[in-house]
Amino acid sequence: MNIDLQTKNIVKTKLEQRGNEYKIKAPVTGSVVLNNAVVASFGDGSLRFFGLNQEPFEVKAHKGVILTMSSNGQFVYTGGDDGKFLKISCDGQINEIYNFGSQWVDCVASTENYFACSSGKKAYLWVKDDSKPLIMDNSSTVGGLSFDLDGNKLAVSSYGGVTVWQRGDRRWKSSRFVWKGSHGKVTFSPDGKYLVSAMQENEVHGWRIRDKIDLAMAGYPAKIKSFTWAGNTPFLVTSGASEAICWPFDGKEGPLGRKPTCVANGGKQNATFVENLPQENAVFAGFQDGSVVLSEIDETKKSYLVRNATGSEVTAISISNDKSHILIGDAMGNILWSPLWAGDN
Amino acid sequence: MQTVEQVPVTVLTGFLGAGKTTLLNRILTENHGRKYAVIVNEFGEQGIDNDLVVDADEEVFEMNNGCICCTVRGDLIRILGGLMKRADQLDAIIVETTGLADPAPVAQTFFVDQDVADKTKLDAIVTVADAVHLNSQLGEHHEAEEQIAFADVVLLNKVDLVDEKGLENVKARIKKINPYAKIIKTTRCAAPLDEILGLNAFSLKRVLEVEPDFLESDHDHDHDDDVTSISFVSETPLNMDKFQTWFGNLLQTHGQDILRSKGILNFAEKDERYVFQGVHMLMDASPMGPWPKNAERNSRVVFIGRNLENMGLQEGFEGCKS
Repeated sequence: MNIDLQTKNIVKTKLEQRGNEYKIKAPVTGSVVLNNAVVASFGDGSLRFFGLNQEPFEVKAHKGVILTMSSNGQFVYTGGDDGKFLKISCDGQINEIYNFGSQWVDCVASTENYFACSSGKKAYLWVKDDSKPLIMDNSSTVGGLSFDLDGNKLAVSSYGGVTVWQRGDRRWKSSRFVWKGSHGKVTFSPDGKYLVSAMQENEVHGWRIRDKIDLAMAGYPAKIKSFTWAGNTPFLVTSGASEAICWPFDGKEGPLGRKPTCVANGGKQNATFVENLPQENAVFAGFQDGSVVLSEIDETKKSYLVRNATGSEVTAISISNDKSHILIGDAMGNILWSPLWAGDN
Repeated sequence: MQTVEQVPVTVLTGFLGAGKTTLLNRILTENHGRKYAVIVNEFGEQGIDNDLVVDADEEVFEMNNGCICCTVRGDLIRILGGLMKRADQLDAIIVETTGLADPAPVAQTFFVDQDVADKTKLDAIVTVADAVHLNSQLGEHHEAEEQIAFADVVLLNKVDLVDEKGLENVKARIKKINPYAKIIKTTRCAAPLDEILGLNAFSLKRVLEVEPDFLESDHDHDHDDDVTSISFVSETPLNMDKFQTWFGNLLQTHGQDILRSKGILNFAEKDERYVFQGVHMLMDASPMGPWPKNAERNSRVVFIGRNLENMGLQEGFEGCKS
């Protein structure tokens, strides 16, 4: 898309005025929260750690693109197109968990006790202090991996549905959630009652885990690349439309038969990344032109521009654990790292 | 303004043993000063240690969009997405398909997936054919016909192993299936890379430039090939509504059998040329500027596919005249 950037006339947002902007020569591929830092990953294989009271530092982790990243609060797990699955500590120490050679590591997930990755059609699950992974075969390439909040279930999505692996007394047992089409990024609701995946078609699909009732959330103009759980309701907030589309998951049937709340309008472009504001009924939506808007999940409330357009789609937003700082990254390597609140420098 | 240039993607098809690997090795090792990523299928034994060689496994996904023949290459969507996150810009990407693959899902991926279409563009389908064995392969495997039918370029390889008559035979056979394809005769795939890569064959503009061989292919029904082509020309301007209705219905009902379609259209009361091209049920269409001053204003359409004689194409096309 063509974006006319009149950089001279742009009024800097409060966050841009307060924060620091960086220009890295590689696309930002993701970001996660680690302790009080936020870690961003890049297309040149590097990670950058943004802390509260220090200059950001760089760690050369992979030889190629960092395709996927997860944090369990203590470590960052990364997968790359160099075939490596790495564990990286908050001071940047790198520990290679597995090397898949010429095969890419497409997805990773982690929890306090376990960590997992996928390469091709196989998912690999490591139990703490156990050096041999459990291998989970799929009939097609794994599209997404996610643990539930308790860390006892692992969802593995692929073509035709999602397989949920649950830790039993002796071994991990699987249960299949079927829906026609190709499934990518996957997530459990915070209460663990629902499972949701983003599809190759422009829709998200959900299941109530108890009885596998289907929840088809369709009607998007674009593919859903990002979703997040927000607020106490909670809402599943999704990208893929000109606004952040927020599906309510309260009550007995969640979004079944209900309309989503649509906030944070981006005009004629689609949201590419969404992230919740922790403990608030509010969400950040990043758009194709690089702009980021903050809005309460309430259609009567006004939304706020927190970052101006950069000309490149938003690919990462993270809020530090103490809610003091925000990191925004885009596909051209622009980073904004800024205090969220005035006087909080 | 920052605009990202779309990276051209060349699809390389051809039967096992035709010479695809020879060509890939040339692309990977020749000193051409360009950065090419090569996506190979898992059965290919390249034996080249290069981080720009990516293994794929031809995962064909059906799309739930009410279009029965709409399939895409899931692995390609994933891999192209990953390649676009590289810090360095690629000059081109080459996708090798297995010898028995139908090229349609690869081509359709570029019509269906918006991210793929935004960041990359289908440049051309290049089919490597074995001059010695193509004739028998065409009779035995429908995939061989599809690979010829979809081709923008046919690299007719191993021409040193057939005599002149044999060569003319196999060329005629290719032309019958696909009058649009450019045939390049080679031994050991030694064609200049700029005749294979960077062709822009899928841009609508190119439809205007490439003239099919109307005369040679004209309704010659004595062949035993399953896949054929039919073309029509009309001096009478067409009615836009009538054409859209007919063509929409045609793709809906016969899209599975129509492998490729292309055309330049002269609509009554429109000053601009309209150009389209399609793969099965999916198509791209757009006005392409005014007719050149000295050029004849006529409509030309070409279909490549199966059972074309049973689709009432002639009557349908005639019925669109205003």
